[in-house]
Amino acid sequence: MHKNIEREILNLISSGAKVLDLGSGDGALLAKLAEKNIEGHGVEIDSKRLIVSLSKGVSVTQKDIDRGLSEFNNLGFDFVVMANSIQCLRRPHEALNNIFEIANECAVTIPNFGFWKIRLKLLKGVMPVSKSLPAKWYETKNIHLCTIKDFEELCFEKKITIKKKFYFNENYMPLNSVLISRANLFAAEAVYHLEKQ
Amino acid sequence: MKIEQCSFRYEDKFSLLNGESIEGFELVYETYGELNAEKNNAVLVCHAFSGSHHAAGVDPTTDKPGWWHEFIGPGKAIDTDKYFVVSPNNLGSCYGSTGPLTVNNVTGKPYGSSFPALDVYDWVASQDLLRENLGVKAWEMVLGGSLGGMQALEWSISFSGKIKKAGIIAATALVSSQNIALNQVAREIIRKDIAFENGDYLLANKKPKDGLKVARMLGHITYLSETNFKNRFGRKLQDAENKIDENIDFEVENYLRYQGEKFSEYFDANSYILLTKVMDTFNPAARFNNNIVEALKNCIAKLLILSFDDDWLFPTQYSKELHLAAIKAGVHSSFIELSGQHGHDSFLFTSDDYTSAISNFLNHA
Repeated sequence: MHKNIEREILNLISSGAKVLDLGSGDGALLAKLAEKNIEGHGVEIDSKRLIVSLSKGVSVTQKDIDRGLSEFNNLGFDFVVMANSIQCLRRPHEALNNIFEIANECAVTIPNFGFWKIRLKLLKGVMPVSKSLPAKWYETKNIHLCTIKDFEELCFEKKITIKKKFYFNENYMPLNSVLISRANLFAAEAVYHLEKQ
Repeated sequence: MKIEQCSFRYEDKFSLLNGESIEGFELVYETYGELNAEKNNAVLVCHAFSGSHHAAGVDPTTDKPGWWHEFIGPGKAIDTDKYFVVSPNNLGSCYGSTGPLTVNNVTGKPYGSSFPALDVYDWVASQDLLRENLGVKAWEMVLGGSLGGMQALEWSISFSGKIKKAGIIAATALVSSQNIALNQVAREIIRKDIAFENGDYLLANKKPKDGLKVARMLGHITYLSETNFKNRFGRKLQDAENKIDENIDFEVENYLRYQGEKFSEYFDANSYILLTKVMDTFNPAARFNNNIVEALKNCIAKLLILSFDDDWLFPTQYSKELHLAAIKAGVHSSFIELSGQHGHDSFLFTSDDYTSAISNFLNHA
């Protein structure tokens, strides 16, 4: 995760919160949380990444998020993070439901499939490979890509409030005020702070 | 690597969890590496059911490497350049610590089948006295596989302040009724051996080897996986000159017979019965209304819970349940399922993932 995106996520989490990081990867975000004395726990499917997480002193559970998350309900988590993971799930919409059984707030990041360079690649007739989506179509773990418009529509349908949103260009810089209104075309990534209505 | 073979004698009365007691005990143990001046680099390694204190290095008399030789040593997962590793033989076992083979000072005869029933708690309590004797305030880590992992779990619940981290590998908080059933068959086979003499075979100058042999053969099947059997033996026929007897057709038959034979030479029948009972009755939550979450609320150590995907004796599900109970209790706990090649016995074999998991946790948790 790029440090600019990480910083926005960390800013959303108040000190004293208990955080569940879904798709915690190598535990980098959990380690940052620990530095800020925030209690965190990671959920990750990949053993190799889990083993790297152990070298950061963080605690993790091996689990496939698609198999449900009910074991984390009512465990006192205040905040859920799902960074760059939702597009890898078989049932992303169900995961969103499950998240709000665990905590009231969450941060979700997505790579924006509506980004103009991606649209251009598709116009050329090839599957896009970009900084945010570096793998070839046959190797990618991303099976449910969406655009900013798609994701925000899903939140509306599910009555999920978008408290804050941050759009980034392909160099992970915040979009300037002119481009923000056309974020679906100009943002490469988006970070959302969500809350259940 | 500095290796020492040691013995710890506890002379006072030692009360057991079940209310009985023994008049002192001896624990034989090996150590690897050196205890630092601050005495804060000690790691306790707990052996499994039929294991011994010989965990690492090569025994000069038998030439045998320890059961976790590949894990303990300079530059290995448990680096003896950094850590002082202590590996005791458990009470009730037959490798030198007080057990059924020991002469009971009160009667002047070996304990034999009269050796009192033990609980994993009693093992841990005796190991705690050893810890005190070594001047170690708290173990940096306590770890083990199978019944060894159950000891690590008991440590983290019952002696919480005396341990910083625990590695609970291929273990469970409660064995299943299937586990008990398998152990019961093994015990019955041993008891039915004509030479068993109701457990008093030592006095009768007999050795119930046949029962032990078959019990071990059964046990051995449960320690491996179907794939492991398939890869090692398939349906290969045993060559004629190496056949143990003419009833044998397949290599796997010969192998099991050989394993059973070897085991029955050195293991004690009463110990087998006693130790399988310790496994079956293990229940660290018993003193907490059988609520493992309540029990784990005492734990201030960090836990690493590992399982192996081809272990059907203590399958992943057991480890997962234990981990979730720990999370519920607010314990800093991590759970990873590793890929195994040897069924339940996978905990004895190195792999890059397995050794990295242990060393990353030991060095950084």
